[in-house]
Amino acid sequence: MWFVNRKEGRVFLHGKDDPVAAADAAAACAGFRPDAEEEIVADEPVSCYNCRYRRWSADSLTCQKHA
Amino acid sequence: MKIFVCIDDTDNIDSRGTGELASLLAADIDKKGWGRSHYITRHQLLVHPDVPYTSHNSSMCFAADIHESQLNAVISHAGNFLKKESAEGSDPGLCIAVSDRLTRPETVIEFGQKAKRMVLTKQESYGLAEDLGIHLSEHGGTGDGIIGALAGVGLRMSGNDGRLRGKIKIDSPNQTIKVGEICAHPSVDEVRNLDGKVIPDDQIIELGEKIKTVLLGGKLILLVMPVEGETGSASWRTCPKNILKTY
Repeated sequence: MWFVNRKEGRVFLHGKDDPVAAADAAAACAGFRPDAEEEIVADEPVSCYNCRYRRWSADSLTCQKHA
Repeated sequence: MKIFVCIDDTDNIDSRGTGELASLLAADIDKKGWGRSHYITRHQLLVHPDVPYTSHNSSMCFAADIHESQLNAVISHAGNFLKKESAEGSDPGLCIAVSDRLTRPETVIEFGQKAKRMVLTKQESYGLAEDLGIHLSEHGGTGDGIIGALAGVGLRMSGNDGRLRGKIKIDSPNQTIKVGEICAHPSVDEVRNLDGKVIPDDQIIELGEKIKTVLLGGKLILLVMPVEGETGSASWRTCPKNILKTY
C-alpha cells in the first residue's frame, strides 16, 4: 500500500482516487487524525485522504506521521 | 468599502488550520466594529515539488465591508494577528485588496489562475501588488505565504473558484428539502446540477451528510446529482465530498 523512497518519504501507492484503499489504510493506522473540516475530501470519515498527516503531491499523497 | 482579505501558510502539521485563523480574523473585524465580514472560501493552489506547503497548499479568503477610516486598523490588526497566531515553522502571508481601488482587477484574477497551474515567486507577487496598490505582507518564516494570499484574493474575486469553509446546517426531519427552501439559507444562492443547469424551486433534494456550497459565477452554488432508480420524493441529492473536492 505504501512505497518508501528517499526523496518523498512514504508514498501512498493507490494515488488520489482510491477511496477504498485509503479507508483501509487509515483503519489500520493508529496515527490517523482527521484534518480540518475544509480539508476533508473523502466520504469515508476515516481515510488517509482526510488525515491531517497526509501531504498531497501531484499524483498521490505522502504520510508525514510515519515518514 | 469592500475589501478582500486572504491568508496563507499559517499552519504546521499539528496546528490549527488556516481556515480557523481566517474565521477568527473575520470575527475580529465584526467584534471591533470595523465592519462586517462575509463567508470564507478555500482556494486550491498548485501542488508541486517546488512549492513549499504543509499539506494541501490552499489559501483562505473572505470579503468584508468596512468603514474606510478603519482600513489601516484592519491591516495592522491582521498582520499582528498572523504574527501571534501562526504556527511555528509556518511562512504566513497576508493580502488585503480594496475592491474599488483596483484599476485592473483582471490582472489579480489572472495571477490567481496562474497560481493553480505554475510555480510563482514572491518577487512577482510583490511586483503585482505594488502596481495595483494591494497590501501584501509577510509575518514570519520565509513569508512565502504572500504568493498564495495574493492568488487567493484573485481567485475569490473571479467568483469562480473554491468552496465555502464550513458545513451548512439545515434542520429537516426527513433529510429532504425543496430547492426554494434551501435557497433561503444565507449560504445558498442557487442550486445547480453538475452540468450547470439551475434546478427549479419546487424540486426536492435529499440532503447528504455534508452540505457545502462552491463559488461559481459569483454565487454560492449547491451542487446536486440526480437520484436514480429510487421511488422517494427527491429527484436530486447533494454531491458527496469526492465531487466537491474538485472545486
